Amino acid sequence: MAHSPQTTPSGFLLPSIHSAPPFFTEQPNPNTQAQHTEQWTRIILTYARHKRLFVLRVEDAAVPGGDWDEVLRNERINRRMLPSHLSSILASMVSKNLAVYEPPKQIHAVLLYWRLPEEWADVLHSWATATGQLNTILTYYEITDPPVPSPLSNMPLPLLRRAINVLTRSGRAQIIGVADGEGVRLFAGGK
Amino acid sequence: MGSSQSTQKITAQDRAILDLKLQRDKLKQYQKKIQGVLDREQEIAKSHLAAGRKDRAVIALRRRKYQQSLLLKTDGQLENLEQLVSTIEFSLVEVSVLHGLKQGNEVLKEIHKEMSIESVEKLMEETQEAREYQREVGDLLANQLTLDEEDAVQAELRELQAQAVRLPIVQVELPSAPTTQPVVSEGDQCAVALLHFLIRC
Repeated sequence: MAHSPQTTPSGFLLPSIHSAPPFFTEQPNPNTQAQHTEQWTRIILTYARHKRLFVLRVEDAAVPGGDWDEVLRNERINRRMLPSHLSSILASMVSKNLAVYEPPKQIHAVLLYWRLPEEWADVLHSWATATGQLNTILTYYEITDPPVPSPLSNMPLPLLRRAINVLTRSGRAQIIGVADGEGVRLFAGGK
Repeated sequence: MGSSQSTQKITAQDRAILDLKLQRDKLKQYQKKIQGVLDREQEIAKSHLAAGRKDRAVIALRRRKYQQSLLLKTDGQLENLEQLVSTIEFSLVEVSVLHGLKQGNEVLKEIHKEMSIESVEKLMEETQEAREYQREVGDLLANQLTLDEEDAVQAELRELQAQAVRLPIVQVELPSAPTTQPVVSEGDQCAVALLHFLIRC
């Protein structure tokens, strides 16, 4: 019964392939490897959405005790993801625009796009509309750490910046910069 | 390209509000940090106490007290800042309300300009005159009937009335209402069952 879907302690349903030992090793056959990478990408993104994780580091495969243990390790079949394998999966995700290297110019950590910046932009805009914060100046901290929890709580700044950039391009936001930092003003406009 | 034109200008007010809000955020972050230290000091004091080092525990608690006083101070500052921010935001709302009122007033003035008292009076007078004129015209037309014609009209009216009176009244026989309870025969029962069946379908 090793090959059956498993539910993790946090309530995430792992597909049956996660219980297959070869799934954890890089396959020499490029076709198989490509399929595995695709499966891994899907698992990583759905898990990230499930637990609201934004960052995945190659380090997470090497050191236990992180947020990703449930996915990158399978104690029942005594397998774990090797850092080199993970980094090749991350590279494929970045090439498919499902993640970006953050900070840029390194390949050890990525920002996961379980929502694309365009989708985040819509989430941000509808949040501001729903909470009546259009046309007021908001600080980034205010958005990512609001007193009332929102879908944007704990969103990393680089991702927020990208979402805001999407909004500024469509004329729905305006970035205001002062010596101490930045703020943004959202408009109803656009669509 | 068009986006930069359609967006509002960034005023000094905006910058001031942003500055205030950023300061507020910094204070909030600072509070978080102190809260972390507070929790940590308490843990340290607990572990020292468990290990029997009372003096160390006291030092840790003292440090904790100091951090607590800092936290209280920042609370006060935070309140000030937040009040200022809300006051400014509220004033902005007031400004926009004032602006709205001003514009409404302008529009009302424009409308009133077109609707001065004199012009209304003049209009009413003209309407009155027109009505009078209409009445005169009506009278003139009515008076054009000669007396003979008027008599003929009256005669015709009388004729019609007389005809209406002479219409014969026909007695209608109506069936009387049943006085007994209706009884359901067997055939009727079948029909009722069929009806129920059809309704359910």
